[in-house]
Amino acid sequence: MTEWTPFSYLVVNLARFIRPYEVTFSGVNSTLPMLACLLAKRAYDFPFTYLNVAGGVDPLPSSVPISSSDPVLAEGSRAIFANEDFYDLCTRGEMDLCFLGAAQIDGRGDTNVSCIGAWQQPKVRLPGGGGGAVMLPTARRSCTWRTEHSTRTLVEVLDFRTAAGGMYGLVTPIAVFSHDGVQLRLSSWHPDVTLEEVRERTGFEVLCHDGAGPTAIPTVAEAEALAVLDPSGRFADDAAVRLR
Amino acid sequence: MNTAETRSRPAKIVSLAELAARIPDGSSVALGGSFLHRGPFALVRELVRAGRTQLEIIKQSPGYDLDLLCRAGVVRRVRAGIVALEGNFGLAPWYRQAIETRAVELEEHACATLTAGLRAAAFGVPFQPIGGVTGSDLAQLNGWAEVVDPYGSGERTYVIPAIRPDVAVVHANEITSSGDARVFGTTHWDRIMTRSARSVLVVAERMVDENEFAARPELTLVPGFLVAAACVVPRGAWPGSCWPDYGVDYASTSDYLDDTGHTLDQHLAAAPEVAR
Repeated sequence: MTEWTPFSYLVVNLARFIRPYEVTFSGVNSTLPMLACLLAKRAYDFPFTYLNVAGGVDPLPSSVPISSSDPVLAEGSRAIFANEDFYDLCTRGEMDLCFLGAAQIDGRGDTNVSCIGAWQQPKVRLPGGGGGAVMLPTARRSCTWRTEHSTRTLVEVLDFRTAAGGMYGLVTPIAVFSHDGVQLRLSSWHPDVTLEEVRERTGFEVLCHDGAGPTAIPTVAEAEALAVLDPSGRFADDAAVRLR
Repeated sequence: MNTAETRSRPAKIVSLAELAARIPDGSSVALGGSFLHRGPFALVRELVRAGRTQLEIIKQSPGYDLDLLCRAGVVRRVRAGIVALEGNFGLAPWYRQAIETRAVELEEHACATLTAGLRAAAFGVPFQPIGGVTGSDLAQLNGWAEVVDPYGSGERTYVIPAIRPDVAVVHANEITSSGDARVFGTTHWDRIMTRSARSVLVVAERMVDENEFAARPELTLVPGFLVAAACVVPRGAWPGSCWPDYGVDYASTSDYLDDTGHTLDQHLAAAPEVAR
């Protein structure tokens, strides 16, 4: 793999938000961040603490589960750091990086995971609150992802503001954004799309960081790690991510 | 009293039907586990078989359990953080329909705000402070109050009113004849649920000798004196997992979701507690 697939683009660019010696958390309904954390452990030559919703602390799972909350994610862990523990860690300000899901994201990095349409009479009832409302404002940094990059997922105005504040990174199949303290700004984009296309497919105004450009291709270590984690392409098939 | 009979079937250990009978219509029920993992699913199915109605379901991350109960018309109200089948199954379809048609009332939480409400009940106080929440529409939606630190730091914190379930039901790996229960792997939210509810019921994979518990008392999640009744249902967390005894049965979960090929009755009939 010397170039991106939409799937590898998401997983690897989520992994690139993980920093040395930090505490990183991946939760429920989070297959792509789960893979990103496992990839970072294999591909990067720095230590970090990987917590997950199965209570695992730097686990060594014997297999990669379909469910990102599967107890297999605590295999090899020397502790069970269960739900109340990692939430408390976060609210007291000691969680460095949280991966948190979102259905809609606005330009400030606030998220909606509650509903499409009005909350009281939703067109679509979504999974709901989850970690966001408590973790997004209290984690040092949070990152989210969308497998669809469109004006209905990256919006000017959220249908409901489930969680606010603290978003740092956003990865889609075509772009990587990071927060400048006021709003999300484009850091890089998929080499197979143009900046114009990113702009057209984004509901909020796209501003670029200095030096923004095409995303650096996967390193050999990143590509090899992903190949080991998803040898049959099952996760890539399940994710069904497309460039367009 | 017949001693032999007492030994073979202690008073706290009942049948699954008797366990379900302890949850009357209209009860507020906290369910243990998370998504497809170590949920008290055999008891949930038994509530459906018993024709229970008007239940309030409390759980940070329900999925199959809540979806099944919505599908069968058992639920009046839900207090939950995140609802999904998870795995690679996505949204919980019958739950979603129940909320969209307003057949079921929802109190939407973040997982940790629901925990805060349970903690208030466990601590015996009317409300519990929680970090975060700032900027979330959930605060106004639920009428959560924000208070200023009475000790003068100037910090503000949201406070969540106490949530006191009538009953908490958890699925354990092992119980004793006295109702002591322990689980392996993560406890999910089971600990706080069993401390906040008025009463605790346990479904377990198997019964073991009390001496095994006494040898490692720190592994016990719920001491028997807190447990009103328990029953043994091997594979009772099906189609979910019960670590390390078995993993998720993805084929059966998929069948549950495919209502063109599989009726609810067929799904209930295929469950380990009846199909053994």
